[in-house]
Amino acid sequence: MNQRLTAVIIEDEKNISSFIESILASEGYRTFAAFTGTEGLSLITSRCPDIILLDLGLPDMDGIKIIEKVRQFTHTPIIVISARTREEEKVSALDQGADDYITKPFGASELMARIRTALRHSHRDSTLSPVYSCGGLVIDFEKRLVTLDGQVIHLTQIEYKLVSLLARQAGKVLTYDYLMQQIWGPYSDSNNQILRVNMAHIRRKMEKNPAEPEYIFTEIGVGYRMREE
Amino acid sequence: MMIPFKKHFSPSRRKVVKWEVLLHDTLFTASLLTTATLLSAAYFLLSRNTTNIAIIYILAIVVIAQNTAGYIPGIVASLFSVTFINLIFTYPFMELNFILDGYPLTFLGMMIISSLTSTLTTHLKEETQISTEREHMLMEAEKEKMRANLLRAISHDLRTPLTGIIGSAAFYLEQGGQMDEARKSQLVKNIAEDAQWLLHMVENLLSVTRINNQTASVQTTTEPLEEVVSSALQQFHKRMPSAKVQVQIPEEFIMLPMDATLIGQVLINLLENAARHSGSSKPSCLSVTTDNAYVWFHIRDYGSGINPDMLDTLFDGYACEPNSSSDSHKGMGIGLSICKTIVNAHHGQIFARNHEDGAEFIFSLPFGEHTYESEINSSDH
Repeated sequence: MNQRLTAVIIEDEKNISSFIESILASEGYRTFAAFTGTEGLSLITSRCPDIILLDLGLPDMDGIKIIEKVRQFTHTPIIVISARTREEEKVSALDQGADDYITKPFGASELMARIRTALRHSHRDSTLSPVYSCGGLVIDFEKRLVTLDGQVIHLTQIEYKLVSLLARQAGKVLTYDYLMQQIWGPYSDSNNQILRVNMAHIRRKMEKNPAEPEYIFTEIGVGYRMREE
Repeated sequence: MMIPFKKHFSPSRRKVVKWEVLLHDTLFTASLLTTATLLSAAYFLLSRNTTNIAIIYILAIVVIAQNTAGYIPGIVASLFSVTFINLIFTYPFMELNFILDGYPLTFLGMMIISSLTSTLTTHLKEETQISTEREHMLMEAEKEKMRANLLRAISHDLRTPLTGIIGSAAFYLEQGGQMDEARKSQLVKNIAEDAQWLLHMVENLLSVTRINNQTASVQTTTEPLEEVVSSALQQFHKRMPSAKVQVQIPEEFIMLPMDATLIGQVLINLLENAARHSGSSKPSCLSVTTDNAYVWFHIRDYGSGINPDMLDTLFDGYACEPNSSSDSHKGMGIGLSICKTIVNAHHGQIFARNHEDGAEFIFSLPFGEHTYESEINSSDH
């Protein structure tokens, strides 16, 4: 890579901001930090970053508003930094177009993994890999075939749709609402029990122990995330 | 224990109360006297006998004195009664004649009876009021004491890791130049550990704010058991990567009404408790069983077990003696008492016991009304 990637960090807490900056700097990123939403927006328009890290609790404006504004002119991946117990906040950020979230507190490796996932998804929208492979699980999107340790797994139509949807965006959390709309259409029931039941069936077919899944993880109150190697 | 207390009525409230009481007393006295007079008149007309009429009036006076405030209504009533008796029911009828034989005695008797009854009732009423007030005060004091204990426990639990962090960081900043690498990384490791512990504490305390203060209830959604268990395990492993847990949950798909974040917190607390305090490297064990109405979560460790004296007070956390528990280990007290608060808010139970090779924590959650199973078995009900 001959050009350094650029990141804009919008975070009002100086210590956290400098901690994120040093992680990114050590990975070779160019970083720009903003402490307010207005500052952040102007940095995004002037620097055209490759990735945006956004804390939702800013002094001057609601973080969700910033996502809305940014999404009007660019698809630059946004990773939201959020506190643990605020599920609704995470969901609404994702629904507004944030790519992912990371829960405070987080470590360097977790942050970098999220950033790499977000970057990868923003780059390969058009050139989808025809196969998902992770551990013993292989999904061939062309043949619509799922195998685990070489054994074919028989999934129903809806189960396959769900698994492939998650696998194509592996590493990224997909909200209940997003999954419901993608599988059952825009007028689907707001009650997501049918989704939960289908996920339970998938888990019984794909996971050795449903209580300790290896491939599809639950983000309580938000949605599901498929493992990405 | 004596609780100091003062009776306090605001003057405005007192005035309102007084007016109401006055009105009530007047009406009550008047109506009872009327009733007594009518009764006496009927008795007199029927039997032409005046001996028992005084008794009827005395009865009325006793009732009045009992049901009104202060001495005045009773005395007023006895005055009226004496006058009525004299006027209507003694010879010469319809004329007042106070020099009748034995009359002053009747009058005195009625006065004494009414005053005595009034004194007795007033006294009784005051006593009841005082005792309810005292009870109220006691409850408030108890609450206050619990709050103070909790605060003390929290600040203690927060200060211990903070002292470690500040000390290590300051030492590192001052002496960092002369230290070897191993020592440096040990210091930073200590800081990281203490900070993790602090975070855990704060998350626990924060989770309590999700419980409604007035009704001690939570907002529940129906969640699949396996998802709650798995996400709790995930978080637990992130926090304590070296700890091993064996997990066993029922094969069937179970949906339960709960606040998943809170129940996750309970599971994490209990797993962490098992990993930290068992003093054993053997993996702890999380298993889930069901009966008709409840889902039971069992967290077993294979360590030294729990001191039997502590089993009863374990979940009261901060209620146990201040010097014995929390200093030796970073106290789990608040963690466990928060578990109890959460489980109770879900209408479940939580308790601990010892088994042959260690300790076992058990908590239950009710299925609630709308469950996956009850839909199938709804014909039974």
